[in-house]
Amino acid sequence: MPKDSAYRVNTEAIVNARRSVVTQESDLNLLESKIGGGQVEELILQASRELSLARKMLEWKPWEPLVEDAPKDQWKWPM
Amino acid sequence: MAVAAGRILSNHLLKNSLRNCVASGLPGLTKVCNQLKTINVHNSRCEQLRYETTTTVREAVPQANAQLEEYGKMCAEVLPKYIQRAEDHHNGQFLNLSDIAGIDIPAKTNRFEIVYNLLSLRYNARIRLRTYTDELSPIDSLCSVFIAANWYEREIWDMYGVYFSNHPDLRRILTDYGFEGHPQRKDFPLSGYVEMRYDEDVKRVVAEPLELAQEFRKFELGSEWEQFPAHRNREVKVRQVSPGESFKQVAKEGEDK
Repeated sequence: MPKDSAYRVNTEAIVNARRSVVTQESDLNLLESKIGGGQVEELILQASRELSLARKMLEWKPWEPLVEDAPKDQWKWPM
Repeated sequence: MAVAAGRILSNHLLKNSLRNCVASGLPGLTKVCNQLKTINVHNSRCEQLRYETTTTVREAVPQANAQLEEYGKMCAEVLPKYIQRAEDHHNGQFLNLSDIAGIDIPAKTNRFEIVYNLLSLRYNARIRLRTYTDELSPIDSLCSVFIAANWYEREIWDMYGVYFSNHPDLRRILTDYGFEGHPQRKDFPLSGYVEMRYDEDVKRVVAEPLELAQEFRKFELGSEWEQFPAHRNREVKVRQVSPGESFKQVAKEGEDK
């Protein structure tokens, strides 16, 4: 995944922040309140989903430019 | 005289029943209660019923909207190729596909629009994704991501004839076996193409080409879809309800008036 792809930048920031909190904090309740994303079990689930999403992102290559522009007036309503 | 007494009595009954509705907090009935603006008392005898002309719509929460807008911008930045989805991402967690809908606008080059409604339980937020296609080009199926997409996409295929590639089981789901055409398309006639009836001779249901009796052949050449032209531009005054305000309070306010 290219280093400057926006998905990678954003996700790395979130994951690193959470990881540093996890390594520093040993008290579970404090950990949950610091991250603010639910209980620890949920946090683990979220992380695994993010991992699977990252793998799918490798497949989809969403950092490439837009496939095609919308035709004129496609989103115009009312006609 | 008897008629007038009856009316007063019924007003009393109505008022009491409405009050009971408010007390029990039935949301649908309190809405009705809002519409019936009660009740002016003149000399404690004559009561008249006036009809509410306003509706109650909950005010948007600007903060949540701003957050969602920011999320949308981030999605556009992350997914320049598709601007398609980000359901597993930490910031969104839109794990729930609540609906897929279709729109048909025959005047456009890509006449079909497919609308995906996603729900994030974690952040109590919904987003709506729209994409477009024409009769021939297929759309990638969402089944590998959301299992719920399976039947929704079959509905879209059945009603609009939009083809989904890589769908595990793309059959009709709503119409009968052997049905032809896609009923939600704008060029599909309202009466359909066939009619079914039970035939006493062959002891089964037979389908025959549609024959309309002469009295049903009153064709109007305007659009079939414009049902109430008189109400097209009707203005409805909207009474804003702030987020903390409950229906009970609104109902009470209506009663005080």
